[in-house]
Amino acid sequence: MILQSIKIALESLWANKIRSFLSMLGIIIGVGAVIAIVSVGTGSTQQVTSRIANLGSNMITVYPRTPKGQWGEVSSASSQDKFSLESTDYMEKFCPSVIKVIPVKQVSGRLISDDINVNATILGTNIDYAEVNNYEVGMGNFISENDHRERRQVMVLGSQLAEDLFEDDNPIGKKIKVNYEGQVYMFDVIGVMKEKGGSIGGNLDDQAYIPLSVAMDKLTNSDYVTSYIAQAASSEKASTAVNELENFMVKFLDDEDQEQFRIISQDEILDTVSSVTGTMSIMLGGIAAISLLVGGIGIMNIMLVSVTERTREIGVRKALGARNAHILFQFLMESLNLSSFGGILGIGFGWTAAYFLSQYGDWPMVIAPLSIGLAFGFALFIGIFFGLYPAMKAAKMNPVDALRYE
Amino acid sequence: MSKIMKIENLEKTYHLGKVKVEALRDISFEVNTGEFVSIMGPSGSGKSTLMHIIGCLDYPTGGKYFLSGQDVSKLNDNQLALFRNQKIGFVFQQFNLLPRATILRNVELPLTYSKTNSGNKKERAVEALEKVGLGDRLKHKPNEISGGEKQRVAVARALVNHPSIILADEPTGNLDSKTGQDIMKMIDRLYDEGNTIILVTHEAEIARYARRVIHLKDGLIDRDEVIA
Repeated sequence: MILQSIKIALESLWANKIRSFLSMLGIIIGVGAVIAIVSVGTGSTQQVTSRIANLGSNMITVYPRTPKGQWGEVSSASSQDKFSLESTDYMEKFCPSVIKVIPVKQVSGRLISDDINVNATILGTNIDYAEVNNYEVGMGNFISENDHRERRQVMVLGSQLAEDLFEDDNPIGKKIKVNYEGQVYMFDVIGVMKEKGGSIGGNLDDQAYIPLSVAMDKLTNSDYVTSYIAQAASSEKASTAVNELENFMVKFLDDEDQEQFRIISQDEILDTVSSVTGTMSIMLGGIAAISLLVGGIGIMNIMLVSVTERTREIGVRKALGARNAHILFQFLMESLNLSSFGGILGIGFGWTAAYFLSQYGDWPMVIAPLSIGLAFGFALFIGIFFGLYPAMKAAKMNPVDALRYE
Repeated sequence: MSKIMKIENLEKTYHLGKVKVEALRDISFEVNTGEFVSIMGPSGSGKSTLMHIIGCLDYPTGGKYFLSGQDVSKLNDNQLALFRNQKIGFVFQQFNLLPRATILRNVELPLTYSKTNSGNKKERAVEALEKVGLGDRLKHKPNEISGGEKQRVAVARALVNHPSIILADEPTGNLDSKTGQDIMKMIDRLYDEGNTIILVTHEAEIARYARRVIHLKDGLIDRDEVIA
């Protein structure tokens, strides 16, 4: 009986090809949208995640923070003057999940080549900075241990900065004047970095890098660094490392409320990214679900028309011995066919859309089997749900009235 | 001769809002196996209502209707559907073929709704179509054949399940007189082959093909006449 009903239903759908297609459209779009959206969400998240991972290996940055004032007191001095160079060693010892801590002294100065001058961020740091940031040297060398020890006034340029200052010329060996708070220092350019883009704490390509010792002792004459960049032993240990660093800073700064420092880890950024993309997916998924629902209403509409149109056919079938269940199944199968065909076409449509979007957005195309199953299952459910009322209406028809229907 | 159907004090009353319409009042008659009976009457005489009840499409509001010894008024919807399928072969005025199905499929239709095994469905349908002289038109659609041929398909469809009664409702109403006569001759031949036939019509000429005419008037049997 079921097989028979499927056959009858298919015949009648085929007889009304255009109408069937149009009523399937809502389901096609709905299913396609679900698959495309989930694919775009997964693909773009993978892309962003890999980009973030590419920023550095399990990096955690510790910044000083100025606590808020209370009870009419002016806020106490920032913890900036507590971020000492020596504490990097303590940090490494205290935090077993941290393999390396790199001090960074960040200043802002005017860089002057022959006839061009540019305001730029200058980072005083050491040789490990490039490695931790996955930052590669394009030409020349990065700052060496000797540069640091001997306080050589050498400079490595970010790719954009090198282009701004020297345009097409080779900057290696050129001299750069640095005007920092009225004082002028001469630097030799020893290297240019490869292009890298944004990272935690700014665009690396726009910055200049000098030995930490030069930045602290010569430029600023300060005993304190701007921030620490810590590297966790592995991505699994990243959150442990964050906890250890937190504990260390709380003790080190005697800052129980954690007001004087701030720790940003890649994990945290990844969490933010995934929560944003998660919210987006839920939102777009909701839109797709509404489209499926509207598609279902479309199917119900067309099924009601079909039942009315074929009242006489229903009467004839009943006169020839069709039971109510036969008629119910026939029309239920018809709406189920509509929604399942729509679902299959929608899978194709979503797949194609996902492919082109992934080409356009340059992320990997990921089609989750779950999203296909979910979308198709939902489409079938909608077909049954919205087909049930018209099918029941057909099944309940009185044969005498149905036969008389003109 | 054995009785195939028996109607006792049959009543059918419709309630159209507050108006009570007594379509059938106290109808009683019997039909033997192999009889050819016409039910004749003007429109409004109740013959369509009677046809619906005999055809197991509708329930009487009073009285009894036995078909093959079974009290039909006691059957539920599903049992009634099975009865229509097994015991009744309908021939309608409007042919009532499914327009999108082939002639073969149309004739097969009663078999798809019966519980008998469907293995020889096609065979039986072809056999019925050959009997009405349409064995070579199996793959045609109803809109590709003439009115007379359509009615012959309908007759084949009525025969295919070997019903107890062939119930023809104005079978010539939509046909010209020549084709109508052909159809009536075919029905007459079915009678000769031993089928029980009940013919519902308002045309005296058509009714006269039967061997017995029941005249209906205002929901009552006016006359039960045997034609020699």
